[in-house]
Amino acid sequence: MSWSEIEPLLLRGTLQSLYMVGVATLIAVLAGLPLGVLLVLTDQGGQLRSPVVNKVLGAVVNVGRSLPFVILMVALIPLTRLIVGSFIGPTAAIVPLAIGATPFFARLVETAVREVDAGLVEAVRAMGGSTPTVVFKVLLPQALPSLVAGVTTTLIAVIGYSAMAGAIGGGGLGAVALQYGYQRFETGVMVATVVLLIVLVTLVQLLGDAVVHAVSRHDRAGGGAAAGTGWLRGPRRRRVAALGAAALVPVGLLGYGLGSRDASGGDRTLTVAASPSPHAEILEYVQRHLARKAGLRLDVRKFSDYVLPNTATESGEVDANFFQHKPYLDDFNKKKHTHIVPVVDVEVEPLGLYSHTVHSLKDIKRGQTIALPNDTTNEGRALQLLAKHRLIDLKPGAGQEATPADVTDAKGLKFKELEAAAVPRSLDDVDAAVINGNYALESHLNPSEDALAVESPRHNPFANFLAVKDGRQHDPRVRTLAKLLNSPEVKKFIERRYKGGIEPVFGRVPDSRS
Amino acid sequence: MRRRPPRNDDCDGTTVITTTELTKVYRTGDREITALDGVDLHVREGEVFGVVGQSGAGKSSLIRCLNLLERPTSGTVTVDGRDLTALAGPGPRPGAELRRARSRIGMVFQHFNLLSSRTARGNVELPLEILGVPGRERARKATELLDLVGLADKARAYPAQLSGGQKQRVGIARALAGDPKVLLSDEATSALDPETTRSVLRLLRELGRELGLTVLLITHEMDVVKAVCDSAALMRAGRIVESGTVSELLATPGSELARELFPVGGRPARGAGSTVADVTFHGEAAAEPVISQLARTYNVDVSILGAAMDTVAGKQVGRLRIELPGTFENNVVPLGYLREQGLTVETSDGHGPPETGGPQKTAGGETAHAAHAARTARTEEADK
Repeated sequence: MSWSEIEPLLLRGTLQSLYMVGVATLIAVLAGLPLGVLLVLTDQGGQLRSPVVNKVLGAVVNVGRSLPFVILMVALIPLTRLIVGSFIGPTAAIVPLAIGATPFFARLVETAVREVDAGLVEAVRAMGGSTPTVVFKVLLPQALPSLVAGVTTTLIAVIGYSAMAGAIGGGGLGAVALQYGYQRFETGVMVATVVLLIVLVTLVQLLGDAVVHAVSRHDRAGGGAAAGTGWLRGPRRRRVAALGAAALVPVGLLGYGLGSRDASGGDRTLTVAASPSPHAEILEYVQRHLARKAGLRLDVRKFSDYVLPNTATESGEVDANFFQHKPYLDDFNKKKHTHIVPVVDVEVEPLGLYSHTVHSLKDIKRGQTIALPNDTTNEGRALQLLAKHRLIDLKPGAGQEATPADVTDAKGLKFKELEAAAVPRSLDDVDAAVINGNYALESHLNPSEDALAVESPRHNPFANFLAVKDGRQHDPRVRTLAKLLNSPEVKKFIERRYKGGIEPVFGRVPDSRS
Repeated sequence: MRRRPPRNDDCDGTTVITTTELTKVYRTGDREITALDGVDLHVREGEVFGVVGQSGAGKSSLIRCLNLLERPTSGTVTVDGRDLTALAGPGPRPGAELRRARSRIGMVFQHFNLLSSRTARGNVELPLEILGVPGRERARKATELLDLVGLADKARAYPAQLSGGQKQRVGIARALAGDPKVLLSDEATSALDPETTRSVLRLLRELGRELGLTVLLITHEMDVVKAVCDSAALMRAGRIVESGTVSELLATPGSELARELFPVGGRPARGAGSTVADVTFHGEAAAEPVISQLARTYNVDVSILGAAMDTVAGKQVGRLRIELPGTFENNVVPLGYLREQGLTVETSDGHGPPETGGPQKTAGGETAHAAHAARTARTEEADK
């Protein structure tokens, strides 16, 4: 990828990250602050001593902190939908981010508030101060430097969380790193995102430290000990400026979020969920070169997982998706009771057998190990490919869902089952591997030159298609997109771009399995 | 060792702080620690009352029970005519009435307890904020109070920029913000050097006089009591074992407080067969040439082993350790003469005078020979 391609990706990713992280942290601070203060007040010796409330709050915070963020994120999807109306996009990612960061910040608040000298609380109580007085005049002002440091720590933790949010369509720099860096081996993008993240974290830390420094200035017997009037002006102005700047950041981000939402809104826009590669790339080609002429506005949402695009299509959060083949969709519809139908075939990613050490099928011998994708359909396909080339024998009638249990004669071969995306990485550790076309391409393997054996693209039941919820097939926008995806321009794009790793397969999706 | 029961209020002036049968028991797990064990305290209006005792004696619990920062286990606390224990209510949180009563009791702390995030003036304004005084009035009053404690020029300094003594002055100004009638001082000078301690104590004393404050201070330093207190009480194991005005205590033979306040050294020169007596002069008697009169009248050789002269609570007090030849029995008459002159006499071999049960009136006189003698003697004992 060239820099001109990378740059907008990074810019968009950075802004999305800042927006998600900023707003989520703002919410976490607003919610975590009272929670943390209550944890101290209700504890033994606190102003509002209440062992029951303290235990309950403590338990809530501990549960919140012990849930892995990825699990929290998925578990919160219904709530996110309720609040945001969708669980896709940076705004939706804010919900799990804020909920995940709140207990984290609450504990930091608790620690900061506990550090406040008990003598100060006693002094204010002796003056006749009430509990709110103690909180607002003593605990919070005295703990301010630690609280600001806590906000900094939380911001940085949320930046980390936000990378995971990218995996379910949250966007942001993390998503860019995952999709382009990890899955597509675009080392340049990976390095650039990592550098950007480091810069971001460093900037946050520096800004946080500066604010801490400004608000704790009067805790040090500094140079201005001779109490004139001049020494005050500078620090106070600086302190106000630092706090103001720190407060402006989330406000600005909120503005960005609202603004960017408007930009992608509108009735005419067709939102399509897609795997980053090649599906999103094909859609982006359409978006860039064909859609405008056809009067179609496309919004491409990238997903690294294979469940959410379908659930989002079923629930109407996206209008269509493009990432799957018929056997997968049939299985999904059956198991999840969804009503998604294929519209038009676009491409197939033929499986191929690759090796770093062996140069021909004849050289595959007993005792060697072959890596296979471990998901049902890809593994079935892989075994069928091996059987077709007589490397193994399968039980008669073992179909597309064949498993290693169906192998009647392995001819001395051993299998290693791995996640499809990880198989290319295993090539150095095994003698050969069955790799999906798109993954092969991403790891710089050329299916037409490097493969020992390749699936036939013709009559391949594993062609990937555009799919919609049943009833939406006749939406004019969907029909326009279907037409564009099957256009000669797209055919040319696929052939040129993927050099045989992906084959264009156009036309209506066959109803029955072959 | 003789101990006097806690002294009841037998003097003029209204009592501002009264505790009756004040008990505080701390429960930690299944252990009980009795910090206060039936304390009866009477502090009269306008006096500076010192409570002394070693750490763990219950001083801290006592002062915190006076404004109910600690809830007494039993007993009552009355400050300025209000029964605070009755205001407290049943719950653990102080009600509005108790909080209002607290705002009329100033408190000064050992570690100052100033908010580091506020300037000196901001700290003094805090109690005014709690009282709901409007901003302009707050600033005016705080400036005035800082001026009163001699820190008008430090109003905008943060605590970290102030010395210990300055911080405590801010603490005092803050304690005075609510126009209190009573000032509680919790080891206010224990964290300060001797020089600063003196100036802070002087300030407390002056403010007490100017503003008609009643000051109750707790301390473990006898010097503090000596410097400012009109009255004092000694605490041990949660009880008050001695209490009274300083002059009463000094006049009380066997008083631990008096001995602590005013130690006199000196070893007997003649050894066995002689009588050693500690003689305390106070009030007018301090100005009488009693020793020379004694020597003349009874024709005895009086040796002065040690002596000290000091000002306690603004009064001249002298202590003298003398040695008379002969056993105690031989010296009953001369010692009796000294008592007749209004002096307190204690003999070191345990033959103290009979319990008098109260303070003795001192006799008047013009000359200052004895005082002079004592002063001269003191220079020899300067290191005591």
